[in-house]
Amino acid sequence: MFQAIRSKLDNMSTIKRLCERAETYALQDQQREPGAEHFLLAALDLPDGTARLAFEQAGVEPDALRPAIERQYADALRSIGLKADIVAGAPMPANPGVYQTTSSGREIMQELAATRKDHSPLLGAHVVGIVAAMPHGVAARALRALGVDPVVLKSAADAVAEASPIR
Amino acid sequence: MIDPHEIVVPTDPDEALAAVVALRRLADHIEREAVHSALHQGWSWSRIAQALGISKQAAHKRLSDVAANHGSA
Repeated sequence: MFQAIRSKLDNMSTIKRLCERAETYALQDQQREPGAEHFLLAALDLPDGTARLAFEQAGVEPDALRPAIERQYADALRSIGLKADIVAGAPMPANPGVYQTTSSGREIMQELAATRKDHSPLLGAHVVGIVAAMPHGVAARALRALGVDPVVLKSAADAVAEASPIR
Repeated sequence: MIDPHEIVVPTDPDEALAAVVALRRLADHIEREAVHSALHQGWSWSRIAQALGISKQAAHKRLSDVAANHGSA
């Protein structure tokens, strides 16, 4: 009983940290609402370290994700013959009011909610597993730009979450 | 100068849609830079909104933080 309550509180704290961090990445990216790519970056920052471990086990350097997100935008523009590198400006100020995400961010939150009984506690690797299963969008393209096989990354994330000592 | 007729839309939907997302992001970036510059040159929100083809309320709602950055710059 006590363990269940504690696990629930831990998960709430992790969700809060994940959402705040994702929003920070979105604002730095001059976007008001975080998308899957921002949640993936946020997961890599979680102190449990499991998201980073999943990346490493899939043969990917976790810190390469952020530049890969930028690169996929440039690649997409180049595919229609445009060459434009956006110079990062000052971060946007945080949105006052209700926390909002893009549709891909919402998809992650809904999947985390739907699978919450499997998280004791919620780990960064769970977020990686969800994002790796998304076939389209900025996060998927960034992972492709990194040469990541999403199936391998998802398997690594599931294995890391399963084996985590803090489960 | 970019000739729009030279822009070839990729036949792969994933690639074509990725280009749309990247163009929207680029347009947002250019919009914010342009509004910042307009405010710096003393343009009013009415004038900016008219130039963007949107209402003053819509312009202010979407871009008021540019004004805040402009004020603090």
